Amino acid sequence: TNGSDKFEDGEKMVTVFDDPSNFNVKHQLQHTWTLWFTKPPSGKQDWSELLKEVISFDSVEEFWGIYNNITPASELAQKSDYHLFKQGVRPEWEDIQNKHGGRWHYTFKNTKASDEVWLNIMLAAIGEMLEEEQDNEVMGVVINIRKAFWRVGLWTRTAGQPPKGKNAETPTDKEGPAQRLERIGKSFKEVLQLPAQEQVEFSGHADSAHSGSSRAKAKFTV
Amino acid sequence: KLETSKRVEPAEPTPGMQALKSARFLEIKEEAKYPDGFKSPNPALNMGGTRKGRAYDKSFLLQFQPVFQEKPSIDWDQKVRDTLGSGDEPGSARPGSAR
Repeated sequence: TNGSDKFEDGEKMVTVFDDPSNFNVKHQLQHTWTLWFTKPPSGKQDWSELLKEVISFDSVEEFWGIYNNITPASELAQKSDYHLFKQGVRPEWEDIQNKHGGRWHYTFKNTKASDEVWLNIMLAAIGEMLEEEQDNEVMGVVINIRKAFWRVGLWTRTAGQPPKGKNAETPTDKEGPAQRLERIGKSFKEVLQLPAQEQVEFSGHADSAHSGSSRAKAKFTV
Repeated sequence: KLETSKRVEPAEPTPGMQALKSARFLEIKEEAKYPDGFKSPNPALNMGGTRKGRAYDKSFLLQFQPVFQEKPSIDWDQKVRDTLGSGDEPGSARPGSAR
């Protein structure tokens, strides 16, 4: 059959497992995701000049096409980052949508990043395993490759503050904003498969920006 | 410098690339018949009252890894070079040993 034909009722459904060259259905993700890359600086560029959008995708199949054909995290140069964010959100504190947000993060103190850990994080993000549907917290996930460590993060829309203003929605369940973030932090920690005694920390972006480094005091830990 | 390892970009998209573009999305309520040995997405993730959307667990997603190896587009290698830089050999062979 011609690939440009419209799918017609009654046509046999062919998945990528049946035929990777001629499948006619694909698996949609809940969100469209954009992969970003931060290039290591080679001079005096602004950080924002080094941040580049790679591609956006919205199906399971396309995710694997990208993952199977891009440099693995373990082979990235120092000072590189991958960011996988929901489409329309820049992976920067400066994005208005990140203004009140924060991130769960964990630092691995060895030099070579684990491709498996980063893959597990991305799969949990695109497969919607990090939060409940109504949470609307997850903005994206990130891996930072540095000189003597590598770090992974999960960015959230809020930093655990109660909603502001009269129009803010009142939570109907007992779980408050901080508990919601902690639950998401626990999911993230499970994805990282860390020993229970290890701590994953949460920092609000505003605090991090204020301290001038990403080593602001952790607000929560799980 | 002579680059012997560099592959020539195909002028036409491969069948897999075309399939990726032209395939329609499975409807949530539609049940795909997967070949023997492949798991369906965990129905509990999508049928439950709390999540009406498209959720997929790790074991379901990992099944696609060896199956769909196609590049997203014919200019993909060039795009990766332009975006990630050439210094770290993007698009080079993946390490042979999985960790």
